[in-house]
Amino acid sequence: MKSHPERSTTECPLVSVVDDDESVRESLPDLLREFGFAVRTFPSAEEFLASDCVGPTRCLILDLAMPGMTGPELQQELIRRRQAIPIIFITANRDKTVRPRLLEQGAVECLFKPFRDTDLLDALNIALRTN
Amino acid sequence: MTTQHGTLDNGWTGFQGVNSDVTAANTATTDLINILDAVEVPVVVLRRDFTIAYFNKAGADMLGLSPSDIGRTPRDIPVLAALPRLEQQCSQVITSKVESKVDFRDANKWFVVRISPCMQSDRQVTGSVLTFTNVTAFRSSIDQAIYERECTKAILNTVADPLVVLSADQRIQSGNRAFYTMFGVSRDETQGVPLCELGNGAFELALLRTQLEEMLAGSRAFQPVEVDHVFTVKGPSTFILDAHPLSFPGHSERRVLVTFQDITARKQAEAAKDLRSEEELRRSEAFLAEGQRLSLTGTFSWKVATEEITWSEQLYRIFEFDRSVPVTLGLIGTRVHPDDMPMLNDMIDRARAVSDFEYEHRLLMPDHFIKFVHLTAHGVRDSQGRLEYIGAVQDVTQRRLSEEALGKARSELANLARITSLGVLTASIAHEVNQPLSGIITNASTCLRMLSADPPNIEGARETARRTIRDGNRASDVITRLRTLYSKKDLSLEAMDLNEATREVTSLSLNELQSKRVILRHELADDLPPVIGDRVQLQQVILNLLRNAADAMNGVEDRPRELLIKTECDQGDGVRLSVKDAGVGFTPQAADKLFEAFFTTKSDGMGIGLSISRSIIEAHRGRLWATANDGPGATFAFSIPCWRESLADAETRLNWTDPLTGAA
Repeated sequence: MKSHPERSTTECPLVSVVDDDESVRESLPDLLREFGFAVRTFPSAEEFLASDCVGPTRCLILDLAMPGMTGPELQQELIRRRQAIPIIFITANRDKTVRPRLLEQGAVECLFKPFRDTDLLDALNIALRTN
Repeated sequence: MTTQHGTLDNGWTGFQGVNSDVTAANTATTDLINILDAVEVPVVVLRRDFTIAYFNKAGADMLGLSPSDIGRTPRDIPVLAALPRLEQQCSQVITSKVESKVDFRDANKWFVVRISPCMQSDRQVTGSVLTFTNVTAFRSSIDQAIYERECTKAILNTVADPLVVLSADQRIQSGNRAFYTMFGVSRDETQGVPLCELGNGAFELALLRTQLEEMLAGSRAFQPVEVDHVFTVKGPSTFILDAHPLSFPGHSERRVLVTFQDITARKQAEAAKDLRSEEELRRSEAFLAEGQRLSLTGTFSWKVATEEITWSEQLYRIFEFDRSVPVTLGLIGTRVHPDDMPMLNDMIDRARAVSDFEYEHRLLMPDHFIKFVHLTAHGVRDSQGRLEYIGAVQDVTQRRLSEEALGKARSELANLARITSLGVLTASIAHEVNQPLSGIITNASTCLRMLSADPPNIEGARETARRTIRDGNRASDVITRLRTLYSKKDLSLEAMDLNEATREVTSLSLNELQSKRVILRHELADDLPPVIGDRVQLQQVILNLLRNAADAMNGVEDRPRELLIKTECDQGDGVRLSVKDAGVGFTPQAADKLFEAFFTTKSDGMGIGLSISRSIIEAHRGRLWATANDGPGATFAFSIPCWRESLADAETRLNWTDPLTGAA
């Protein structure tokens, strides 16, 4: 298993996780840190937007369905603000039509829960490369 | 010639001739007087001037005369005065010398008074002799006879049928009014006319004449003769002639009474009725045939002893045989479905003994088409005690096929519904389970990476492992607290009657239960208090219990598949509904797991019904449980609080918890 060497926080790219699911907010950061990323988590899109992480975020891991502002809505909002952050959508809803649509609208990837850690890593690499 | 008047003791004054010897004349007169007195006939002699010259003893008695009445006129005698024209008639007699009679009545006695001229030897009329004959008896018998005759005539004339009396030589003597009227003839026209000449030869029948002769001869009784004829006045008619001999004692002359019974109208009516009943018969036969055709029912008769079988046209059509083919048991056998032949043979064997039978079997047509027929037959015994079956066979193929199709469609629909709702449920479960599952995989992946690091991150690994276990438990909880099929916002609480809700469910399920041969019984308490609940959800629970109970009895053959649904008040302000079956029951080991999600003893079920039902009931603040019966089967029951207890909560919402997430 590949793992990145320890980077200093200044070198670790920031990945923000926005998901109303507590277990996601609990489990993802450790994995992402193993990948060598710095991580910040937010329970809602609104809180992310209100934070100071919008600028520094190199990649956004975004839940699709959330109470309040949904994932796609946040995506639209960021575009409006000209904050082109690469987005990796995660969702439990295995609707086949969802993924193509999201990719079309500019998402890097859409992963279905539960997803493999390697799939997430691949998506993250793509996201950072395109930055 | 000179006349001499002599006076006698009793007042006789006679005229005597010139040359008579007074003594001799006196003697003769006395003898005469004595004779006259002995005679019971009253005699009165009147002179030419109508004065009374003489009367005898009887006359004195009758008329109340005394010697002083000599010389008086009849007008002086009360009785004689009652004879109005007496003097007139006397003078007429004197003049004409011819006697006459007059009737008179004294009280209730009838007399005939004979007035004779009193003549001398020289034929000179000297007066009149009155003799009184009492004809009372005679007269009354005459009257009686006249009366009776008149009565009889009246009766005969009232009789509508013509009657005629013939003489021994078959001539018409007399007839009643009906006779003359009917034939348009008069008494004079027909008097003495031979019967055979009547009615322009209508009765010129050899048969009639011969019969009358034989009857009159006494050799044979008369047999009524029917005569058809077109009469000039009456038109076409039919009569029945009957004849009776008439003979009276003292009369040697034989007579015949002939009666004519006009049956023209009756014959016409009978002909019309025959026509009508023929027509009616034809119509009813046509109705029957049509009815048989429409209902696809044919009828048959089977004489068991002779094996003679008769079929209606429709039955030929059902069996698809030509009508000319003679029907035998063997022929029938060629159409019976081979699998059902044993049943048919068994039926035939038993039929020779029983009196009624009924069963269904299949026919196999030459083109391999299968027909279902329903047969009923009733045994009757003829006058000789021989057994004959009369029966009907109905082609019920259509019904059977549509029943099967319906049954198939219904089960397919049920399957579909189950699959659909299952699909919905599965999707929602999947969705809910995916969240913790995702966490598990992420944490476990992290754990592995941490352990592979150099040096391994033991603390981190421990933490991720802990989270993994926790998420695993969460997933298990999700599955345990299944989401109901109806989302939270569709809930509608109302005060409801559990009996009514139950009846709705059972009436909807009746078909399904009947097709599974389940005998459904209700024992719904009359005084059941209302409950607050979601009607649809509670009905779902009842339906689930009903279906489970029916399914549990699926293989039961040795006892009736009885299902008892019962409502009652539960102690402690609750309402209890129980469903008791006579099925396979459950083992003590299974008892604990019955309400677990996904637990099932059924081969094709997911077993989620009971766990959802329990959730629903618990959400209603009730409880659902199962007990094994004393006999076979199990009883599932739930109890929920009734209105009274939750009255306090009526203002506020019932404390509803989402069965899946546990959120209020």
